[in-house]
Amino acid sequence: MYGDHALKLIQHAKRTQALAHLPHYQTELVRETTREVRDLDKDVSNILAPFQGSFNPSSEPATACSVLVNHLCMRRNKRCLLAYHRVRSDKLEEMCWSGKDVLDQEQQAGRQGNGEGSGMASEVGNQSSLSPEEDEYVRQYGDMLAAYKGQWTDIDLTGSLEPPRDLFIDVRVLRDAGEIQTEYGYACHSLTILCQEWNY
Amino acid sequence: MGSYYDIDAILTDAQKVPCTFDLDMPGLGYLDENAGGDIKAGTRVSLPLWLSTLLAVQRLGPSSQPLCTLDLPASISPRVLAALKAGPKTVDLRQLTSHYYELAARVLELFEEEEIVDVLSETFKERAAEIADHAHNPRGALGEAQDFLRGLDEMERQLFRSAHDSSNAMREWMGETKKKR
Repeated sequence: MYGDHALKLIQHAKRTQALAHLPHYQTELVRETTREVRDLDKDVSNILAPFQGSFNPSSEPATACSVLVNHLCMRRNKRCLLAYHRVRSDKLEEMCWSGKDVLDQEQQAGRQGNGEGSGMASEVGNQSSLSPEEDEYVRQYGDMLAAYKGQWTDIDLTGSLEPPRDLFIDVRVLRDAGEIQTEYGYACHSLTILCQEWNY
Repeated sequence: MGSYYDIDAILTDAQKVPCTFDLDMPGLGYLDENAGGDIKAGTRVSLPLWLSTLLAVQRLGPSSQPLCTLDLPASISPRVLAALKAGPKTVDLRQLTSHYYELAARVLELFEEEEIVDVLSETFKERAAEIADHAHNPRGALGEAQDFLRGLDEMERQLFRSAHDSSNAMREWMGETKKKR
């Protein structure tokens, strides 16, 4: 039955919504679904070819019905494909905003999948679970987000929304930065990267 | 209802409804697991909502019949409705179909069945109260309530989850403010 591949995609999307990470891109199912749309489109053109543009639905109800069914199947497949990709891109955007390194994480998830499963998983395990297009999307979205954040240097848009409990926060020193003079007058050694900076 | 991209709306649309074709349809046999064949007038086929509702409202020409007629799906048959009327909390809606209320809402747009609407909204009211009760009581998800909670349809599940999360968030917030003072 037409639309079965698309339904599988949607079931994947439903599962994706509940997961913390992004599962593998269903290249095969997407390809099957688009192929189905192409076949349906070809069928419609074949059915309508003998009428040469002067098709009257009320005189040929049966033909009109099969054209309608084909058309509805195509529309359904389109909706499923779009919804599947939207769920994934929403997830990716969310990851960008929460400051995770999407590409890195996906590669890790891929490796984990490789360790657990066998056969199929080992084939795709080493690749990222994103499609090449999604990869590109994440990169460009990340750039755009960085450019947007760059407009306000004193506010970290992707920072935590939790207010600090104290005026002072603990700082872990990651790299030696030499002498640093703070506004309170004391100098401490090597203070570089603040994990959670609250700007007043 | 759900937007174009709503996964739950799409899943609702995938549920099947019995319908009867009123015309001979050449080449549509694949709908009836008879690929390449024809569909004779009067054949009963189970079609997903996204196909059947549009076929049922489509008229070719001003006076002609619709292409097919819909029947009520088994999940809102009189038998199920009687069970819902007798005890709304004892029916396992999930076993009937995963998106019960949405399916019913979609189908009832096309039927004039005031009584079914009443039964279903009464059912939802009764069950919603029960769900809220279990969601606010942390031990509710264990023990005897387990059977009831397993039988929730997708919408009720979301209701349960948000009620549960909101009571948790509330408790956390109260705890937070207490600590600060």
